[in-house]
Amino acid sequence: MDYLFDPANWEWLFSGNNFRFLLRGFWINIQIALVAMALSLAFGLLLALLRLSTHRVVSVATGIWVDVWRNLPLIFIILYLALAIPEPWRNAYEAAVPSWFPSAFQSPFFLAAVAALTLYNSAVIAEIMRAGIVSLERGQGEAAASLGLRYWQSMRLVVLPQGLRRMVPATVSQLITLMKDTTLVSILGIQEVMRHARIVTATSGNPFIGGGVDAPLLQVFLTVGLMFVAVNLTLSRLSRRLELRERRVTGVEVEQVAGVEDQLALAQPE
Amino acid sequence: MSELWEVLVRHFPEFRSGFLVTVQLVLVSFAIALGVGVFVGALRIAPVRWLRLVGGLYVEFFRNMPLLVLLFIAYAGLRRAGVEIGPWVAGTMSLGLYTAAYVAETVRSGVFAVGKGQIEAGLSLGFPYRQVLSQLVLPQAVRTVIPPLGSLVIAMIKNSAIIGAALALADDLLKQARVINSETFQYNEVFFWAAVGYLLLTVSVTFGVRTLERRLVVRR
Repeated sequence: MDYLFDPANWEWLFSGNNFRFLLRGFWINIQIALVAMALSLAFGLLLALLRLSTHRVVSVATGIWVDVWRNLPLIFIILYLALAIPEPWRNAYEAAVPSWFPSAFQSPFFLAAVAALTLYNSAVIAEIMRAGIVSLERGQGEAAASLGLRYWQSMRLVVLPQGLRRMVPATVSQLITLMKDTTLVSILGIQEVMRHARIVTATSGNPFIGGGVDAPLLQVFLTVGLMFVAVNLTLSRLSRRLELRERRVTGVEVEQVAGVEDQLALAQPE
Repeated sequence: MSELWEVLVRHFPEFRSGFLVTVQLVLVSFAIALGVGVFVGALRIAPVRWLRLVGGLYVEFFRNMPLLVLLFIAYAGLRRAGVEIGPWVAGTMSLGLYTAAYVAETVRSGVFAVGKGQIEAGLSLGFPYRQVLSQLVLPQAVRTVIPPLGSLVIAMIKNSAIIGAALALADDLLKQARVINSETFQYNEVFFWAAVGYLLLTVSVTFGVRTLERRLVVRR
């Protein structure tokens, strides 16, 4: 405890641009999370619709796809794709990425990292969205059909707007998990906050390249962790508020999705 | 196709030991998560305000923190600080304390799900508080808590892969797969069998929980 709160162990925070460097790394994580989230939402919706398809072959095949990817460890998928994406593709990506993109995005392994985050999270989100759509009363679809709407019309105009809105809180809480999971891409050498933290601990004590103030590993990583806590706490407050409103408006319990770490629907009103 | 089987047959001992290490990691971490989680969950519903606050701080801290950061703090961080902590302890403690935050929320919601009215009814019938808790709240809370706890075990199986991969704290399934791959370079075959191992675990937990749920369900 003394070690943890000893002011001498926190001096590094104000030395040189250590803190700015950490924040810059953290901003990369936010960017990666946003890119992966946008892709996951798009593919997740597509997978959810395919899963609910009336063609049995399509829905079963999509079901297997979704269940496989969401039941594998994310870090496993990251490491596998880093090996499996062929070198020409990596080089093509490296050549194609605009130079004004953040340096982390220039890494040849960035493709594998984002593809893995998307593969995993789109499967989870597909399951979340499917639960939202299924949770709608069957009457809704039947009423739409009896009004003469075609399948896609009733999906687009009746089922999706209600079903997806119901799952907004669960989706936001998956975004929190995704935000935390972006740290895993550091294993591919992508320069984000974990790498920046290690650079700070390695260089801060050196008077030539750092400020000459030792940066203890424990305190540096605790600072990084607290950055995540700050952002994720804001997100979880947001998703909670959305959920309570949703429950008040529709009067239904938000569905639970098996296998999702953060079971937001558990949160009960105080 | 034959290569696929060949890799499994030739490296079966490594795969098996990795699989067993993953199972052990999950079991030990889950025991920690359950113990700490129930305690923190109890703090969250305690009648004393500052106890609730302590419980809330624990939950928000561990739930919003990346597991990888916790692992760095628990292993490298504490070692630099002069605390002699083994890789196995650091790994299971991190995963356990991390998941405990989710367990605490699950426990809290399970108790809330029972409803104040029932507790008041029990008390007004003259049952002592302890009996109300043990015979009214607990049996019902356990039932609501089982499906989300199952989800947490699945999340733990997946998260346990970080322990071996990121800091090499344990020779678990993913770590063994990477070792085999560095010898054979047959990553498709090697990762296929590792995936089978992980899916075997996660899918069997899914079915186990579903069966348990069906057996415990109360028909009203």
